Amino acid sequence: MAVGWVKRSAAHHAVSEIERVEKAVLETSRMQLHKLVEEALPELEMMIGWAESSDPLQTTPIFIRDAKSISKLTCGPLCSQNLTGYLVKPPALDSVPKDAKPIGICVKGCDSRSLVALIQEKFLTRDRVRIFGIPCRGTVDWRKVEKRVQLLNVKSATVEDDWLILDDSGTTHKIALEEVLSRKCLGCRYPNPVIHDVLIGQSATPRSTDLATTYRDVDAIEKEPLEQRLAFWQSELDRCIRCYACRNACPLCVCQDKCIVETREPRWLTQRAGIPEKFLFHFIHAMHLAGRCTGCGECERVCPMEIPVTLIKEKLNKIMEEMLGYAAGLDPDAVPPLLTFNPGETEI
Amino acid sequence: MAVKIFIATDRLDSVLEKLSTKIDLLIPASLKDDKSAPTGFVPFVPGTAPAFDRQTTTPLKKALLPQVETLLRFEYHKDPQGSPKSSVTVDDQRQVRPTLVFGARPCDVKALTTLDRVFSNGPYVDPYYVERRKNTLFATLVCRQNDAKCFCTSVGGGPADMEGSHLRIVPVDGGYVVEALSPEAQTLLENLADAPDSARDAQAGQIVEEALKRRVGELDTKGSPEAFRKRFDQTDYWFQMINQCLGCGVCTYVCPTCYCFTITDEVENLKGERLRSWDSCMFYHYTLEASGHNPRPTKLERYRNRVGHKFSYIPERYEGLLGCCGCGRCIRSCPVSIDIRQVVGHLKENTSE
Amino acid sequence: MKDLSPRSSAPADETAATTQGIKIVGFLCNWCSYGGADTAGVCRFKQPTDLRVVRIPCTGRMDPLFIAKSLIYGVDGVLVSGCHPRDCHYAVGNFYARRRMEALKAFLPFMGIDTQRFRYTWVSASEGQQWQKVVTEFSEQIHRLGPNPGLKQRSGDHSIPSIALR
Repeated sequence: MAVGWVKRSAAHHAVSEIERVEKAVLETSRMQLHKLVEEALPELEMMIGWAESSDPLQTTPIFIRDAKSISKLTCGPLCSQNLTGYLVKPPALDSVPKDAKPIGICVKGCDSRSLVALIQEKFLTRDRVRIFGIPCRGTVDWRKVEKRVQLLNVKSATVEDDWLILDDSGTTHKIALEEVLSRKCLGCRYPNPVIHDVLIGQSATPRSTDLATTYRDVDAIEKEPLEQRLAFWQSELDRCIRCYACRNACPLCVCQDKCIVETREPRWLTQRAGIPEKFLFHFIHAMHLAGRCTGCGECERVCPMEIPVTLIKEKLNKIMEEMLGYAAGLDPDAVPPLLTFNPGETEI
Repeated sequence: MAVKIFIATDRLDSVLEKLSTKIDLLIPASLKDDKSAPTGFVPFVPGTAPAFDRQTTTPLKKALLPQVETLLRFEYHKDPQGSPKSSVTVDDQRQVRPTLVFGARPCDVKALTTLDRVFSNGPYVDPYYVERRKNTLFATLVCRQNDAKCFCTSVGGGPADMEGSHLRIVPVDGGYVVEALSPEAQTLLENLADAPDSARDAQAGQIVEEALKRRVGELDTKGSPEAFRKRFDQTDYWFQMINQCLGCGVCTYVCPTCYCFTITDEVENLKGERLRSWDSCMFYHYTLEASGHNPRPTKLERYRNRVGHKFSYIPERYEGLLGCCGCGRCIRSCPVSIDIRQVVGHLKENTSE
Repeated sequence: MKDLSPRSSAPADETAATTQGIKIVGFLCNWCSYGGADTAGVCRFKQPTDLRVVRIPCTGRMDPLFIAKSLIYGVDGVLVSGCHPRDCHYAVGNFYARRRMEALKAFLPFMGIDTQRFRYTWVSASEGQQWQKVVTEFSEQIHRLGPNPGLKQRSGDHSIPSIALR
């Protein structure tokens, strides 16, 4: 694949026409977002969206109460965070009285599924949120970018057509977007928000329509013999530093301060940093999300040690789809399969 | 005259192997087969490729303050006549082996001086830490690969700062010039490799010269302690700066100067161990009191404490020393891109906004 | 929780008490399977001695954590048993448990744990003979598998081939 740091060249000019169009679409989406938020803000308690951070490759969540800050809002492939967790974790909502105006939130396709799951489990009601849906073509994994090019001081990062263009202290890097998308995006079936009040930009085409594409990485693991799988997970999970970023970033990890890894009574895990402790933590993290995980990939994105933790949950998602025909976060009225039962099923 | 040697890149492994017969080695390396994987400090075994080209993902502090260490072991002995726990034996024997950290960066090594103030300068002296400190030498790499997230010179360090180091490693064309900065380090270099030729020696001198002049980062921490105190009660400020915080422990666990720990007794049957392990001020349980009261109930108070600790409490207590070495790891690893430079930088801005 | 101590720290003599040192943990519901095991005992049916029983109020109480922790810390087999479906003392507890344990059963091998080390079954309080059959079969199965290799305490082994992900 042609990637890496190609300087702006003739080849670049040849595709610039399409790029202009694509860039225009992104710019228009951003402007459309600003306009819609500006109109809606008086009826909102707060608007949760993405803003540029000190690193142009990454965005940071922003909480807007004041029309002055709306211009900071951004959208596009660099907006990787799933913001829905802020709706149910303190103090975002704690500071908002229950009878207050709704909260506005930007969601991508996968984020919208988390929102649906939160509504299903009654962590919030539909009328508490005003959903600004943003169709998504995949989000950039900055670690993948750093593995391709050594970055010293990125001044700007823009997406033009299928390329991510970085200005790194004078050098222009042009990287195929496809090469640096997050792992979870490559098997995405729901790039368009499944629930929304307004939709911004044009709808996106799903990258996958079948289980085999979506769960390709799960299959890659399952091809290995049992011992290899155990060895793989042991060596991957050994890197875990028990920072619990995966847990805290997960919008559906709702136990929070009562998490089994930290409770002292009963104490399920010791303070040791051995493989069994880490293995058990990730095992249980995944089990608690069985039938609930929407595959937004936050746990994996936030891991500083680059452990493919979403993959563990992907397997359980696959089990749920194959065994019970259930994909999480699609229907606000559905009940997650492990929170209900069917007396008639004998051979599940 | 200082002892200097030149290690050619292709001889690095064999030199390290030779060195490891004299002293245990800890080197920065990838934590996986894949070279681009996260890195950390690992014990050297022949064949381990050092990762000198980038900053390690996890910090050096574990060389002196492991993530988990056993403080003591205890065992209850059943007395046939008396109660089942009538006597207990305690064993706090430990063995600290002399270790050389080869190839840490100046920020990481300098960060340990902050830990020194806490663990070894009294009034409470921590024997576990002090023992390790005494037995550990540092060969520090003059840093040539700072990126946009580094800010060591703004917090009192620098890419060639050798505070706390015993050896200096200068990457030159075709290898490394290693120079002993202390007598005990000189003996380590004996018979290890030849002295550098004059061209390489001159190049090393130039690189150090250049690195000493280089400014990394623009954060101005002057007046931060006072500014922090003024901002302390401004909930709006903290909401605005860090409401996106997830409350995870990444920043504290990758921080080379964060030293907070917890002590737990892990008991199985009649035997047990008293462990000291890293804790994080970002966790709810860190400040949870036995009564159930938590003085820092939300992430706002917790993050505020982290900033205050590094840029206000430590400097006020230890004559201006900062609790931050400018390595930029917390910025790099933060899942929601919180930039501590912004939080600290804005402390002093007009408070009326 | 004597039997759940990590194998690595357990001296050999502790495990020598049972045949070949095999340890099986049984989680039995209070109303049916615990009674079933009791019936088997009262009837003096011969049973393997590898099983250590933990009584739970209902299989609905069965947290996958119990099973995961047991297997990760080196127990050789886990057997869960409760009331037959539609016979739950609490009406529906075992229905929830069934889905949960089916999911777990399918999930274990993905993490590299042999799913044959885990089994769940239904035994009522009157089925002493059925209990004897279940526990004998499961015990034999675990003996065939041998001791649980468990997890390494520390890896430090970087030669493990990584599996190519997207």
